Amino acid sequence: MPGILKLRVTWLWLFLIAATVASWEFGHGLGFGENIRLSTTAVIVIAFIKARMVILDFMEIRHAPPGLRLLLEAWTLVVATTLLALYWQSA
Amino acid sequence: MSEQATRSHPHLPGESGVWVFILGDMLMFAAFFIVFMFYRGEDVALYAKSQLTLNQHLGAVNTFLMLSSSWCVAVAIETARGGRPRGAQGWLLSAMACAVGFVVVKFFEYSEKIAAGFTLTSNDFFMYYYMLTGLHLMHVLLGLGVLTYLWFTLRAPSAASTLRTLESGASFWHMVDILWIVLFALLYLVR
Amino acid sequence: MNIRNELLCIWSAVLFVIIFTIGIWPLTHFLPPHLPTASAEEIAALYQDRTWQIRLGLFLMMGCSGLVCAFVAAITVAMKRMEQGAGPLTYTQLSAGSLGAVLLIIPCLVWTVAAFRPDRDPQLTLLLNDMGWIMLFMPFTTFVVQNIAIGLAILGDRNAAPVMPRWVGFLNLWVAVLFVPGGLLTFFKKGPFAWSGVFVYWVPLVVFLGWYLVMFAMLRKSALRAGAAV
Repeated sequence: MPGILKLRVTWLWLFLIAATVASWEFGHGLGFGENIRLSTTAVIVIAFIKARMVILDFMEIRHAPPGLRLLLEAWTLVVATTLLALYWQSA
Repeated sequence: MSEQATRSHPHLPGESGVWVFILGDMLMFAAFFIVFMFYRGEDVALYAKSQLTLNQHLGAVNTFLMLSSSWCVAVAIETARGGRPRGAQGWLLSAMACAVGFVVVKFFEYSEKIAAGFTLTSNDFFMYYYMLTGLHLMHVLLGLGVLTYLWFTLRAPSAASTLRTLESGASFWHMVDILWIVLFALLYLVR
Repeated sequence: MNIRNELLCIWSAVLFVIIFTIGIWPLTHFLPPHLPTASAEEIAALYQDRTWQIRLGLFLMMGCSGLVCAFVAAITVAMKRMEQGAGPLTYTQLSAGSLGAVLLIIPCLVWTVAAFRPDRDPQLTLLLNDMGWIMLFMPFTTFVVQNIAIGLAILGDRNAAPVMPRWVGFLNLWVAVLFVPGGLLTFFKKGPFAWSGVFVYWVPLVVFLGWYLVMFAMLRKSALRAGAAV
């Protein structure tokens, strides 16, 4: 099915799979070696980059009215920042 | 490039009302995530020790299934826009197959944990593990119902409202995907 | 249709919320909730120290719960317009909503039993106190079914001028999902999913109030429009 290769979402899907593999590796403690906190930070950041990609291109919020896009971008940013702050505070 | 990239004026995916549900649910899960992270901070050692018993491979497989399912739905929308409802139905079926796969994997994951003696009341980590993945699973089952409904709408003669209904359901399904992406990171990967 | 009667039923919701709040907050002090981890002696002391306030508060909470029936009737009337005659969703909402009123009244009665003889064995007071809390927060099923029925009726409205906007339908479906976690309170004595927890007590309380507010405004609008059409 060559048609689907022309779709932006298909390439994004491949990228998301790759990003999952990357964060899986960070989850094993690889990537930043012994530094667990940097690995975890990477895991959280990657998760929210993935979430944002799904929001913008799978949900098609990139072309949605600005108000809705703002709400969803804010959700991503606020939740990610809060989680990171709580994580860094804990250890 | 798809047609959406060339579209210049704003286009709300789906009907406006459905966003009340989607945003409400995202708010609810945001609270779940933050509460989890807060209590994790109170007892990092317990959470880290309990997390080691989780099967990361099953979690990752489910992430692949969820992402793929979401992608299938996105392609289904493009296909329906291209005026090929039969093709779109096929993509929806693939999305449903991935979702069923997700449920099956979760079933095996839960049985594995229960057989090993970890249940809802074992400790705080497992409380969150079962409650959050369980509530997410409830959304996956709801989503399966939504995808089935979308499949049936595509059987009817095509109308402008068909596409909007498709977009509404698809947006819900992508939300279920987004919530899993964060849950996977929080429960399985955060150290 | 007598619009005055309909408006009366709709406004009863405001009376219900006000009286219930007075009962649960300044009188009984059941807001914030008792902790499921509290000992029998601690719970018994609450009933001994505030006996008359708790009795009066529960009297008010029980007393205003009957007004829920009037509000459910107002929703039923609006749903008949949506379904163009009393359809199955209308009846589902009517019966589930009425049962919901019962599930408000019974916990108040159980707590009243606890406050009736506050000097009895603390273990018995603890038992009755547990019963009240579990009865009030665990049975999500009638609320969920009621909300789903309302949501589906709004979304299925085929009137040229729909009775309520579609987002209210989706709001009802969201509220339904939100009440489910409370059903699992039986597993937890502490944490966010216990009856004193944020996802069983606080979030549903706020959402329930918000839902009342939205439904009140929407029902009022629908009644006034129906009155103008006659």
